[in-house]
Amino acid sequence: MAQAIFSTREEVDFVVVGSGSAGGIVARELSRAGFSVVVLEQGPYLQPSDYSHDEWDVTQNEEMVWGPQKGHPQTFRRYEHETAQLSNRAVLGYAHNVGGSSHHYSGNFWRLRPIDFQERTVRGEIPGTNFTDWPISYEDLEPYYTKVEWEVGMSGLQGPWDPPRSRDYPLPPLPIKSSGVLLERAAKKLGWTAYPEPHAILSQPYKGRGGCIHCGFCLGFACEVGAKSSTAIAMIPEALESGNCELRTMCTVARVETNANGRVSEVVYWEEDGTIRSQKTKAAVLCANGAETPRLLLLSESNRFPDGLANSSGMVGKNLMFNGSSSVAGIFDHPVNAYKSVPTTRVIHDFYSIDPSHGFYGGGGIDERHLSRGLPMSFAMGESRFSGDSWGSDFKNQLAHEFSHACSFNGHTTSLPLSSNNVTLDPVVKDKWGRPALRTTFMNHPDDIATMKFFVERSVELMEAVGAKGITSSYAESGQSGGVHLLGTCRMGNDPDSSVVDRYNRSHDVPNLFMVDGGSLVTSGRGQPTMTIMALAFRAADHMIRAARSGEV
Amino acid sequence: MSSKATSRRAFLRSASEIAPASLLALSVPSLILAGQQAQAAKSATRPFATLTPEEAADLEAIAARIMPSDETPGAREAGVIYFMDNVLGNEREEVLPALRKWLSDLQAVASTRYGHPALHTLPDGMLDSLLRDIEETPFFDTVRYLTIAGMFTAPLHGGNRDQIGWRLIGFDDQHAWAPPFGYYDAEYMEVGE
Repeated sequence: MAQAIFSTREEVDFVVVGSGSAGGIVARELSRAGFSVVVLEQGPYLQPSDYSHDEWDVTQNEEMVWGPQKGHPQTFRRYEHETAQLSNRAVLGYAHNVGGSSHHYSGNFWRLRPIDFQERTVRGEIPGTNFTDWPISYEDLEPYYTKVEWEVGMSGLQGPWDPPRSRDYPLPPLPIKSSGVLLERAAKKLGWTAYPEPHAILSQPYKGRGGCIHCGFCLGFACEVGAKSSTAIAMIPEALESGNCELRTMCTVARVETNANGRVSEVVYWEEDGTIRSQKTKAAVLCANGAETPRLLLLSESNRFPDGLANSSGMVGKNLMFNGSSSVAGIFDHPVNAYKSVPTTRVIHDFYSIDPSHGFYGGGGIDERHLSRGLPMSFAMGESRFSGDSWGSDFKNQLAHEFSHACSFNGHTTSLPLSSNNVTLDPVVKDKWGRPALRTTFMNHPDDIATMKFFVERSVELMEAVGAKGITSSYAESGQSGGVHLLGTCRMGNDPDSSVVDRYNRSHDVPNLFMVDGGSLVTSGRGQPTMTIMALAFRAADHMIRAARSGEV
Repeated sequence: MSSKATSRRAFLRSASEIAPASLLALSVPSLILAGQQAQAAKSATRPFATLTPEEAADLEAIAARIMPSDETPGAREAGVIYFMDNVLGNEREEVLPALRKWLSDLQAVASTRYGHPALHTLPDGMLDSLLRDIEETPFFDTVRYLTIAGMFTAPLHGGNRDQIGWRLIGFDDQHAWAPPFGYYDAEYMEVGE
C-alpha cells in the first residue's frame, strides 16, 4: 500500500517528530494499530544508492551529521558562568535523515540490567547529583527488549552473562574478529568473561534483509545491504505500508502549538524551501533525540508555558549524560585487521558495577575495536596515539605498521545526571532557520572521570595479559566536550516536580504530548543506550494505543 | 593485495550470496562510478584550479616533509597537492585566504633566514627546521590535516593516487569480507580458542 497523504488542515491522530530509533518505532506501531500518523523528519530519506564509504565526505564533512558546515552551528561551555564558544564540529552528534542515528550507529545493543532501574536505592544517595531510581523496573521493559530483538532484528548468543530474558536471540552472533580473540584470551587469563557482542546487525538474512558482508563501515556510515537494523530499514517501510502513515522529509519543526486548554493542537514546521506549514493533530510525540526534543520544547514557550512547553519541573534540557569512554591501544606481532567487519565482537561485563569500596560510583563494559573505526584518514589524524613525531618518516612508518597490527580495548561507562549539565538555547548564535543554536553546558562529575580511569586500568591489564606492545591510553581526564549518546534531558519519573514525562513517556504537564528518545533515560546505563530507547518506544506506543482507544489522550 | 577488478568481483560474489539483488543493483553502480572517477584523477601533471603554481610547489614541499618519500611513496607520489587544490576551491574554500597569508608569512621567514623565499627549493633539513618552529601553529595544523586527508582520501577527491596511502597502511579497498579477518581469528578457528 502506498503511504498515506493527509491535509495539514485535517486533524490527524498523531504527529511524530523525528524518524530515528524511537520515532521510527512509534510511527510503525501507531500506524499499524490503525491511527493516522504524520512523521516530520528534518533530513532526507536516503536510499542505498545514496550511501557512501567516502571518509572525506561522510566523516570530515559531516554529510549525515550536519554540523556548522550545513547550517547547524552548536556552542559549548564547561560551566554556566562561561560564555559558550562556537564549535567547528557538531558538539552533540546525530544523523539528520530518516532512521536518525540508527542509520549510522554500530548497533551494539546492550539491555539495561535490573540494577540500572533501582541503583539509587541499592547504592544510596550521591550528593550534588540527580541520581534517582527509574519509575519502571527491568521486568516492565523486558518484553519490549525481546520485541526489539525480534522485530528490529538482532544477532547474539544467549548465556549466563545475560540479564533475565524471555526468549533467545533470533540470529546467532557475528563471527569473532582477531581483536575479539585477543580480548577473549586476555579476559580468560584474568578470570573475566568476554562474551559475543549482541548486535542490531544481521548475521544472516532475516525478514527479507541481507546478512552482514563485513565491509567494516558500520560506525558513522549507512549499511548498503540492509544488514544493520536501522529504523529506516526495519520500521519505516512497514509504517508506510500500513497506509496510515505519511512521512514528510526535509521538514524542520519550529514550534509545538497549544490551545486554550493547554493541549497540543498543531505542529508548525518549515518545508525545505522555507515555506511554513502547520499540521493539526490530536496528539504529538517528540522523538527528536536528547538534544533536539528539549530544544523544541524550550522554543515552544508561550504565555501559558513561559519556561518552555512541558517544563513546569524545570528539568527540560537538564541532566544531560553522554556515557563515559576510554581507549587503550596496543600493538601485536601479527595482522589484526580490525578495520574489517563490525566494530566489535566481544564484550566484558565483569565490572558492570564497580565495588563501592573504591570510593566512587560507576560501572561499564569493555569491548575491542579498531583505533579509528577502521578509517585510514581518521587513524592518521589521531596523532596522540603515536609516540614521538606527528609528521615525517618515523610517523609515516608507524602508521604503516599500526593500522593493521593495533587494536584498542575500549571502556563504555556511566555518567551521573547533574542539573548543571544541560542543553539550552544559545543567546547569540542562530542556525540556518534563525532558531537559537543548541548550547551545551557540560562538565563530568568526578565519579564519571574516576570510572573512565578505572576502565583504562582494567584495559591496560588486559593488553598486558595478551602480550600487547606499545600500550597507550586515553580518556577525557578533564571532562568530555561532546557526545553522541544524548541522554537524560526529558527524564522519566513519577514526580511532576522532578521529571518531564511519566512512566509511559507522557508529559506531566500536557496530556496529549509524549516524549520518547534518549532524553527519557533516568540514568545513563553502561554505554549502549539505543536498545533501551527502542524498547521504551515500543512500550510507550503500546500505552498510546491503549489510551487513544479508550479516549484518554 | 587484490587489484581493483578482483575486489569488485569478490564484492559481487560475496554480496550476491547474501544480499537481496535489488539492494545490490542500487549500491554497486556507485562503487563502479567511484572507481572510474579514481582513474580520471590519475593524470599526474594537470593544471591547478585554485592554487598558483608557486603556492602549489611550496605547499607540496611542506606536504612532502609531513609524508616523505622514503622507502615507500609519500605525499608527492600520492598527488596530495591535487587534493589540496581541489578542496581549497570547494569544501575548504573558507580556509584559503588564511592559508595564503600564513604561507607568505613563512616565505618571508625563509627569505630572512636563508635568503630565499621559495620553500620548495630549500634543502630538506632547512625546511624541516622551519617547520619545527611552526609545529604548534594553525598553519602547520591545517597543512598537516590536508596532507593526511589527501594521502588517505578516496581517490576521487584528487589525492591517494593509485591508492598509495591505503597500500602504505594495509587498508584493502574491498568492502566485503569473510572470516578469517586477521591472524588471530584464523588461529582461533583452528584451535578453537
